[in-house]
Amino acid sequence: MAERLPYREGEWIDRTQPVTFHFEGVAYEGFQGDSLSSALWGAGLRVLGRSFKYHRPRGLYSLAGHDVNLLVEDGERTNLRGDFLPIADGLDVRAVNTAGGLKRDRLQMIDRFGSLMPVGFYYKAFHTPRSLFPFYENQMRKIAGLGKINPEALCRPSPKDYAFCDLLVTGAGPSGLAAAIAAAEAGLRVVLAEEQPQAGGSLQTQHARAPQTAEQVQQLIRRASELENLELRCCTQVAGYYSDHWAALVDERRLTKLRTRAAVFASGCIEQPAVFQNNDLPGVMLGSAAQRLIYLYRVAPCQRAVILTANAEGYRLALDFVEAGIPVVALVDLRHDGESSEWGRLVEESDIEIFRGHTVHEAQPGPSGHSVRGVVLCPLDGDGHPDAIGHLKLDCDGVIMSVGWAPNVDVAYQAGVRFTYSDQVGQLVPKECPPGVFLAGRAAGIFDLENQMDSGRRAGLQAAALLDSYDGVIPPAPIHRGPPPSHAFPIFPHKGKKNFVDLDEDLHLVDFKNAHHEGFDNIELIKRYTTVGMGPTQGKLANTNAIRILARLNGKTINETGTTVSRPFHHPVSLEKLAGRRFHPQRRTPLHTLHQELGAEMIHAGAWLRAEYYRDGASARADCILHEARQVRHSVGLIDVSTLGKLQISGPDAARFLETIYTGNFSDQPIGRLQYAVGCDELGVIIEDGVVARVGEEHFYVTATSSGVAAFYRDLKRWALLLRMRVELINATGHLAAVNLAGPQARKVLTKLTDLSLAPEDFRYLDVHRGCVAGLDALVMRIGFVGELGFEIHVPTSGAQHLWRTLMEAGAAQGIRPFGVEAQRLLRLEKGHLIVGQDTDALTHPYEVGLDWAVKEEKPYFVGARSLQILRKQPRERTLIGLVLSQDHGVEECHLIVEGERMLGRITSVAHRTTLGMPIALAFVHPDRAREGTELQICGTGGVPISARVVPLPFYDPDGLRQKLKD
Amino acid sequence: MPYRLLKFGLSSEYSEPRMFPVQGELRDAYDVVIIGGGGHGLAAAHYLATEFGITNVAVLEKGYLGRGGTGRNTAIVRSNYLTPQGASFYQASVELFKDLSRQLDLNLFYSERGHFTLAHSLASLRTQRWRAEVNKQLGIDSELITPEEVKQMVPEIDLQCGGHQPPIHGALYHPPGAIARHDAVAWGYARRAGEAGVEIHQQTAVTDIEIRDGAVCGVHTNKGFIKTEKVLSAVAGWTTEITQMVGLRTPLVIHPLQAMVTEPLKPWLNKIVVSASLHLYVSQSSRGELVAGASLDPYELISMRSSLDFAEGTAGHLIDLFPMLGDVKVLRQWAGLCDMTPDFSPIMGTTPIRGFYLDAGWGTWGFKATPISGLTMAHTVATGRNHELIEPFNVSRFSDFQLVGEKGAASVGH
Amino acid sequence: MKIIHCPVNGPRPLQEFYFGGQLRAVPTSEQVAAMTDAEWSDYAFNRDGSPGIQKEWWYHTPSGTWFIAERDIVTDGFVRTYLFDQADQESHNDG
Repeated sequence: MAERLPYREGEWIDRTQPVTFHFEGVAYEGFQGDSLSSALWGAGLRVLGRSFKYHRPRGLYSLAGHDVNLLVEDGERTNLRGDFLPIADGLDVRAVNTAGGLKRDRLQMIDRFGSLMPVGFYYKAFHTPRSLFPFYENQMRKIAGLGKINPEALCRPSPKDYAFCDLLVTGAGPSGLAAAIAAAEAGLRVVLAEEQPQAGGSLQTQHARAPQTAEQVQQLIRRASELENLELRCCTQVAGYYSDHWAALVDERRLTKLRTRAAVFASGCIEQPAVFQNNDLPGVMLGSAAQRLIYLYRVAPCQRAVILTANAEGYRLALDFVEAGIPVVALVDLRHDGESSEWGRLVEESDIEIFRGHTVHEAQPGPSGHSVRGVVLCPLDGDGHPDAIGHLKLDCDGVIMSVGWAPNVDVAYQAGVRFTYSDQVGQLVPKECPPGVFLAGRAAGIFDLENQMDSGRRAGLQAAALLDSYDGVIPPAPIHRGPPPSHAFPIFPHKGKKNFVDLDEDLHLVDFKNAHHEGFDNIELIKRYTTVGMGPTQGKLANTNAIRILARLNGKTINETGTTVSRPFHHPVSLEKLAGRRFHPQRRTPLHTLHQELGAEMIHAGAWLRAEYYRDGASARADCILHEARQVRHSVGLIDVSTLGKLQISGPDAARFLETIYTGNFSDQPIGRLQYAVGCDELGVIIEDGVVARVGEEHFYVTATSSGVAAFYRDLKRWALLLRMRVELINATGHLAAVNLAGPQARKVLTKLTDLSLAPEDFRYLDVHRGCVAGLDALVMRIGFVGELGFEIHVPTSGAQHLWRTLMEAGAAQGIRPFGVEAQRLLRLEKGHLIVGQDTDALTHPYEVGLDWAVKEEKPYFVGARSLQILRKQPRERTLIGLVLSQDHGVEECHLIVEGERMLGRITSVAHRTTLGMPIALAFVHPDRAREGTELQICGTGGVPISARVVPLPFYDPDGLRQKLKD
Repeated sequence: MPYRLLKFGLSSEYSEPRMFPVQGELRDAYDVVIIGGGGHGLAAAHYLATEFGITNVAVLEKGYLGRGGTGRNTAIVRSNYLTPQGASFYQASVELFKDLSRQLDLNLFYSERGHFTLAHSLASLRTQRWRAEVNKQLGIDSELITPEEVKQMVPEIDLQCGGHQPPIHGALYHPPGAIARHDAVAWGYARRAGEAGVEIHQQTAVTDIEIRDGAVCGVHTNKGFIKTEKVLSAVAGWTTEITQMVGLRTPLVIHPLQAMVTEPLKPWLNKIVVSASLHLYVSQSSRGELVAGASLDPYELISMRSSLDFAEGTAGHLIDLFPMLGDVKVLRQWAGLCDMTPDFSPIMGTTPIRGFYLDAGWGTWGFKATPISGLTMAHTVATGRNHELIEPFNVSRFSDFQLVGEKGAASVGH
Repeated sequence: MKIIHCPVNGPRPLQEFYFGGQLRAVPTSEQVAAMTDAEWSDYAFNRDGSPGIQKEWWYHTPSGTWFIAERDIVTDGFVRTYLFDQADQESHNDG
């Protein structure tokens, strides 16, 4: 391992804890506290990754996750960012997107063919002849993409956290700490989120050399930790900001959804690169990255540095190098006037050579192309253009750039802050902040340390004042004085065309010129054409320069040029964190465990689990179902219908209300009687059906479809309001259980268990009575959905299991059997009863399905009535009919009825094996083919034509004698 | 290696001509004004010029080309619709798409991947079978397949959905289902239309439409008044603003639709996977990103904001289907606007206002209709009569109670 | 996630609510009877989906509360929420 710089207070590494890890199969050592990037650079490695398109060697660049030069995978996880990945013993990673390893990446030859691939080249080629495109696409897909997924990887869902605070402060640098402390001292509950492992921000790097800084950081952190209402969360990114101050905080373990009442963005700046030839070579890096290396990890960025600057920061950087004992070969200042501050003077006094009004025009690669060997300097003319005549070569192995910044404000943008470009600062500054959102520090264009702290305090107090926690004086807003910290155009053309603007996407300067030439002269268009800013960092180092370039190409200002929109996330967030542990509630009836004991096969029915059928020894599914159905036809069966929607509707207007909701009449329905009811929407489409029981003058009990009841109940609530009806609505679906005891022997079974008289004259078909069943208070309805004598018994859920067991025991002599949903569906089909949603669709109205009788047109008004008037006048296009099929296989629901190429209709329900001994179906057909006896052709499975004959409905017991059974 | 690439390498100067001409001042009058510089408007302009010889046309775009739904959709093209009217219309679109790269001489990355609509319930399976049967009658390649066949073609899929969702019962498989580079479609049409003489004015907003005696006579813009007797509105999510100008009432309401992409990955997903029950659709772009979307936002909104709920829900459903994606990271989320109709079919063609033509109701199905809507609307504008493919979609179907029942198919319409 | 102020339950997250569409004047049975087919289909299908502040129905699912919200459908800003009453319906009729 290469030597680290000597110990310095504030460093992040723990030298007592060496760590061994593997990169590209080679073992390296680092220290606890190192990121993968710092450890590898510290170990002397220079090529850390390969670029997306040209597979150029790339090194450490931002050391802040603002580039993706070092993206690795460990076989399980991929696209891990070296800047954020802490090293640990056992860590074993490889660079993504190489062919044959990082060093000998076979795809590096692509770099030599760069000129064949100008911007958007893929739009101009490969599409003719058409037959070859799939081949080319395959090749391109293989070359594109970064990490490889492991198909065996395990998902590690983590619970999500919900948190609440008064103020969220993003960034624990000097201004963020000041904001958080001021707000917390004023009494706000503050969350201070910092994406780095330690608080301090630029105090630990930019300002680290000043002797008092380390103490200052400690003081701030101490003060922050003293405040119980201030929570500092390190390694936590504020990934996105949404409506009503809803923020997504992401740390190593989980997503925290934080509801705050206000936010301060003290998120600092992202240092921006200069654009010159080979500005992506390993060894070229941002000044802030160099400072992080020096002060946090004690790694020398290089052995001989050239610093390219356009601000005071570059001079301070030079002094950082001097103090660390790293020679600075030259300080190259883009400005002709140089630096007039204290740091300028100090550098002048040192033996560092200063080149004012110069730029680095080119970084020159060493023999392997894997590192910097030197630079070519050029003087700049009055317009800022490099003048090759005066060029000069210098040897160095590092080019450190400090030419400007862009505020780190993508999340503030999501929070609603709008920005304007300020020439005084050379960056975007806030123009409008929505209520409760504040910016502080460098994110707001405030650069001087004292000013940064002041702006932080001010933002914290402003938030406190807004939330009525502070009524003192708000200090004035500091403003930036002095020259702009950011150069207006640190971008230099070069004939070599390797001056990169977007490192993620391998875009260089000429790409922009060419895209503009082709007419992509709008920032959003040029973004989409060049893909600038669409890579993994979302253009953190690219967008600013791209806008500058476009502005210049258009001859417009930055503000006229505009910016692209910032969208979540700040740094990418894994799917498993976003997903969290997932909760998928499953509704079970109170009889669920009994069904399982009885060997039921369960199926999902909407949110419910229902018994599909009951397994019977080795019998096949179809046999079980038919057997259950026959049992109902011949003796007696029992089914759990607890999933039925159950509504209680009462009040003086209850009958009138039902008449408005359903198509039928209810006012004259006697107490103790039931009737079938159909509900339509305002367009006349059938949306509901069920049974309405009148249980009192002002009391009705209504069943509704399992899947529809929640929405139906919601609709009823609104209709009650709109129509000013005096009704009370209760959705009792979950309170009550229900079973249907059906079959010719049903009366015999139930008689033993109830005080109700079941004599045919006392308990008629479509009667409802309240009484005691199996010792339980029950509502008993005599219905015939399955076409047999049947009693539907509704009891409180607590008694459901008792009821079921008691009925099963009582029916033992009759051979009672439970039957499932499938048998029920078969039985109702034989009886010709439709299922809303299966035998109807999103446009079906009652006249199409033989429910004319249920529509009481003479009523003054009901929902859908007016639409039905219109629909009734129209020629009918389809009608629901019964079919007997010519064979007992090959027809499925939704197979079509055809006549040549004409589609005549569609099967809606089918049963191949029935208790009737013949295969039957319900189907929509055109009315001119609906006459009884008509032979129709179904396009069956595999396109095989199957004939069928139209028969009257119902198939079973057309006179309804069975359900009205008297003995 | 294609010759075109060599040409780039061999010429010292950048040899590509301008894709979009520099546009001069807006003129006083045009034969046709098209509002909306998205795929649909530009395609209509192209076909007006090339198929009907009408070149005195201005396309007015208030932002930049393809700013709306064109650049915000998940770029899926398919024709496996439920209704014969819908399926025939989209099938004609697919046919145009297949040859569009050549026609526009721009590589649209039209990539036939195969499109699965997974069914997690018997009810959904029925709907998928219905679609398959209708499609087959119309000669569209669609088939209901078993879970095992799904697994064979997408081995990474978890048929049991980790127990978080009802298992996959089967799927509608539509081999011609494709994805394309959506922006490029707009650019290609814009270039061709421009070459044919159509003017394309960006940053030009329509502020009002002048109607006299029930007929269009001009358009007010932020750059002045234009005389015209024919206006085509092709602004999808912004349609309600335009229809308000002409006093046309429609059922349209606007809902956002959100989507997201992951970091680029090496290719592994070669199919387009849609789950109707999970409200999810996902494909892998040629750049390697997974592009995923969900159903409409649940309430009306004319804003392209993002929501965290969407990202959380979509992430959960992605992992339900592909558990190994847990560590894959989401790069970016965004939203587009959908102008929704009650029957999930577009509103196209003539309107009660003479000279005002509507191309709207594009909901979540607009991109895939781009070529055919351009062609049929061009026909309609040029002749004043609805093209037969779009007759069922006329705005009059509402007053006539003649809806197109596409809604039944689309719990998620991609 | 958005917060919506239910007039009964106070501020609650969006997830607890269901959007019920624009508040529209529901014609009385007499009015319906007097409507032409064209007037009825206009009522049944057409909506005013244009930008601006819209009165609309929202439902708080856990408590079964319908109420009215005035919301800017461009900025998604809720102006106010209140329980439906007939006066509102009538003023809406007039408007």
